[in-house]
Amino acid sequence: MWKYLLLFLPYLSFAHIIEVGKNKPYQSIKMAIAKAKSGDTIFVDGGHYKEGNINLTKSITLLGRNRPVLDGEMKYEILSFRANKIVVKGFKIINSGKDEVRNIGAVRLYDSQFSVIENNIFENNFFGITMQRGYKCLIKNNKITTKRGNRKSEESIGDGIHVWLSNEVWIINNYLEGNKDGIYLEKVKNTYVAGNYSTKNLRYGLHFMFSNDNVYHNNVFSDNNAGVAVMYSMNVGMSKNKFINNWGDGAYGLLLKEISFSKIKDNIFENNTTAIFMDGATKIDLFKNKVKNNGWGVKVNSNCIENRFNQNTFEGNTFDMSTNGSLVLNTFHQNYWDKYQGYDLNKDGIGDIPYHPLSLYAVLAEKYPSVMLLFRSFIVDLMDKTEKIIPSLTPEDFVDQQPLMKPIKS
Amino acid sequence: MKIGKGISLLGIVTLGLVSCSEAGPVAIEFNKDQCDNCKMVIEKAGYASELVTSKGKVYKFDDIKCMHMFEGDNEELAQNAKTYVTDFKTSQFIEESKATLVQGGAIKSPMGGDTQAFANKADAEEAAKKLGASLK
Repeated sequence: MWKYLLLFLPYLSFAHIIEVGKNKPYQSIKMAIAKAKSGDTIFVDGGHYKEGNINLTKSITLLGRNRPVLDGEMKYEILSFRANKIVVKGFKIINSGKDEVRNIGAVRLYDSQFSVIENNIFENNFFGITMQRGYKCLIKNNKITTKRGNRKSEESIGDGIHVWLSNEVWIINNYLEGNKDGIYLEKVKNTYVAGNYSTKNLRYGLHFMFSNDNVYHNNVFSDNNAGVAVMYSMNVGMSKNKFINNWGDGAYGLLLKEISFSKIKDNIFENNTTAIFMDGATKIDLFKNKVKNNGWGVKVNSNCIENRFNQNTFEGNTFDMSTNGSLVLNTFHQNYWDKYQGYDLNKDGIGDIPYHPLSLYAVLAEKYPSVMLLFRSFIVDLMDKTEKIIPSLTPEDFVDQQPLMKPIKS
Repeated sequence: MKIGKGISLLGIVTLGLVSCSEAGPVAIEFNKDQCDNCKMVIEKAGYASELVTSKGKVYKFDDIKCMHMFEGDNEELAQNAKTYVTDFKTSQFIEESKATLVQGGAIKSPMGGDTQAFANKADAEEAAKKLGASLK
């Protein structure tokens, strides 16, 4: 144990504590920072600080006591990280400026490594946190909300957490509401996104763009335009997330566009217009997911290749499956479908006749949306029944040879 | 085969309901409509573009680059199709052939095409000068 103490000894012996507040040696944070050396800790007492842009060029720990407010007065980028190992905790950061070209936000990290942003409240900012070329940074327990744009965004608003060209960023237990994208990752690698609650964002709860080798786990995405969009990325792990209430015209629980080599496991999709939409998705394993009470369960475009659907549960969806062509290069194996009407004579839990999850009506609705007028009518029932006996339009390969009799327990 | 006939009849009826509009650009509902190429929601009026096929079907895009990518991927559809871009100044649709395009510099468009279109050449030159972009 004391070995570790020795390790920290140089910091302990030379680091100073500087205090900022009304009755403290320094009244302004900027002055305290100017005085501080790398490794120092600055305590900031509660109060309202309007100091414009605070530029951090040293490795400083900034701690807020009684939640001091940093106000950007709708003009400034409030905190700029321009050094490594900066820690910011316990602040309320509000009213950042707005600049479309420079993407300014409340906190911005420029080439910062090993930095921590924890336990802060962000309100009414253009961007919450923006990071460029970060490495091993932690963003944890922050609440990032904004009411700018009035949820319509004629005047466009920024993302809650916007990470660009970074490596190994940890984004954990944050709450994001009302931003454009809750979390936006562009050209980001080896990142772990877990335990976040992303809701009521104008576009997506979480958005991957050209970002390979990432994992997101145990997050909740509700009431967004799309829960999560994974685009132009490879090797993304998605597990134990909840995608709920993403309702609307072009709304999806999970939107996959040009993505490959990924795993989607143990997720829950509930009450979405379309739970999963796949376009140009290849070699993805969908495993043990629950797809419940959605309009469409899974829409797989015919340009999707070699995806495997195993042991998923489909319950209460209007349509379990939909596709836009006749080509099927994906496999379905041992999923549970509540619409399955087969039997199980040998009692091994697997239905004895194969199940075709694609109904004729779903195919028609995809081609001619106005056919939805006939929804739940007698004609449609008749059509589906006849199609089951004499298949004529639905692709024959779209089949689960071994449908399960009971849903998978998780 | 009776089913087949029934379906085609249904198809014709529904198509009749859907079509019958004049070929031309259609207003985009921002923050709701999706780009037909990259599937992202269309947000910025200045960069939106549209492709109208010879049969009158409209495809919407959030970036001029997306439209060109779509054209390349769907040659059959793009044949004899008309392409429209938005005039950056007025947000009105204009035919792409009549527009002056400005690219690069400080322009940042949703999908990285970084192109703005102008109906008026003088406007384009002015914008190019201001943003450090070049005429295309």
